[in-house]
Amino acid sequence: MTLPAIEGRALSRTYGGFRALDGVDLKVARGEVRGIIGPNGAGKSTLMDVLTGRAASRGGTVLLGGRDISALAPRARQRAGLARSFQKTNVFLDLTVGEQIRLAGRCATLDNGEEVLVALGLAEIAHRPAADISYGDRRRLDLALALVGRPQVLLLDEPAAGLTVEESLAMADLLKDLARRWHVTVLLVEHDMEVVFGICDRITVLHLGRLLAEGTPAEIRSDPRVISAYLGTAA
Amino acid sequence: MTSPATLTATAPARPARAPGSVLALVVLGTGCLLPFAGASPLLLSLLVQAIIGAMLATGVGFLVRQNGMVSFGHALFFGLGGYVLGVPMAHGLLPPEMAVLLALLVPALLAFLLGLVITRIPGVAFSMLSLACAQTFYEVVLKVRTLANGDDGMSVTFPARLFGLDVGLLQDPRSMYLICWVLLAAVLVGLWLFTRSPYGLLTLAIRSNEERARFIGYETVVPRAAVYALSAGVAGLAGVLATFYNGFISPDMMHWTLSGSALVMAVIGGTRAVWGPALGAVVFFFFKEIVGDATEHWPAVIGITLIVVTLCAPAGLSGLLARLFARRAA
Repeated sequence: MTLPAIEGRALSRTYGGFRALDGVDLKVARGEVRGIIGPNGAGKSTLMDVLTGRAASRGGTVLLGGRDISALAPRARQRAGLARSFQKTNVFLDLTVGEQIRLAGRCATLDNGEEVLVALGLAEIAHRPAADISYGDRRRLDLALALVGRPQVLLLDEPAAGLTVEESLAMADLLKDLARRWHVTVLLVEHDMEVVFGICDRITVLHLGRLLAEGTPAEIRSDPRVISAYLGTAA
Repeated sequence: MTSPATLTATAPARPARAPGSVLALVVLGTGCLLPFAGASPLLLSLLVQAIIGAMLATGVGFLVRQNGMVSFGHALFFGLGGYVLGVPMAHGLLPPEMAVLLALLVPALLAFLLGLVITRIPGVAFSMLSLACAQTFYEVVLKVRTLANGDDGMSVTFPARLFGLDVGLLQDPRSMYLICWVLLAAVLVGLWLFTRSPYGLLTLAIRSNEERARFIGYETVVPRAAVYALSAGVAGLAGVLATFYNGFISPDMMHWTLSGSALVMAVIGGTRAVWGPALGAVVFFFFKEIVGDATEHWPAVIGITLIVVTLCAPAGLSGLLARLFARRAA
């Protein structure tokens, strides 16, 4: 039996008295594009943080390709093949696009910086400081930094946030293409349902820190619990 | 797909430095000629003090530039250089050459160890911790009279020769000026090369976004501590030179007011360029001399100047010069 690319068992996290994540189980197959959706405060970003080690899980286990990485720091998880992008664009504003990709490549086991720059259409602006490029380009740079080294699993926290409809759809197509070509497993937190239903193989729905539903886009779209809690009747 | 050379071909992000390099060589050459152009021993002696201050300010400014951290306690490393040189020399605890080597190494080493702890803490908290560390050492050298006469300080007598070099050269304004000038140039070039190196780029990235640096796989504490150590090493070298030149050590070398002055010099010169704080130090030093002759309230004038520079040229004098050159080039 093939091991899941990433697995979370009984993941929990509290902030003060608030249970942001409450015993969530998650299993994502290799090569799958998995969407994580849910209303604000559902625990989506917390799940990302717990998986990548940005926030510690209170109990629970994170397995990457069957290996327990729960005790590893974010840096070690990244080196093990778990990369992420952030909800707010998280790049090095003082460095040029090329410098940051080189920096990421130097740390990766596979330095595919050139390939990533070209694939994400950033080669033309490689000489420009990140502070001087457009918001859309920064989002792509954020994604590029996560893709250098071809991680096994890529966690994307609202990659289409702040983009226009056209940019979001282009980003979705790009993601799907890269995931297929580079055999990267993707976990995608996103509010743009067009993007989520367009590219995800399966979708996990969180509500109040708990797992509400999981299934294919068609199953999720017709799940009365999801419709009631999040999608509404228009979905 | 583009050629594998895309990154390297597109990488030269910063503008070409050729005119800057020529200017730097002209400044260096002119400075070297000064003792032979009839400069008085008094002027040369003032310049020695200014260059030593420039070195201290360079250390402080480098920390701001690479780590984004403001130290209120760099006088610790300046004074430590002096004390590690002077105390063993005076008490005959170590061979003199060994004392010199230790004086150059100990400030950087201490800073690295301290840095592993205190550079994890950003912002004002780091500034306060750096101040606290410096004041702790200040209190030690002030209170432990057996070390170096406490508040009175201590004269340091050097052997006639060190590493085959006549120590008299380190106390003569003309030769010491040349030594300090060349050493300052070497420090600036060395730090500039560091900023252009992959490790320098990493430290800039960490300053820019530490969390992102961690999430692309980098350890961030050691590089921060390394920059702190490097900047402290430069301050320590300044302290060693000051001790050689003055033949005297005192707790004032570690006092927070010296750290504050170095920070003011760095702010006046600007920290975006490695050489900015050195320029600020020379301007500060001579401004202080001139204004000090005119009024005893010179600190107030310095304070007003600092406010004006901060408001009118936030990037300091070096930023102002860079803007002027860029405008002329355009």
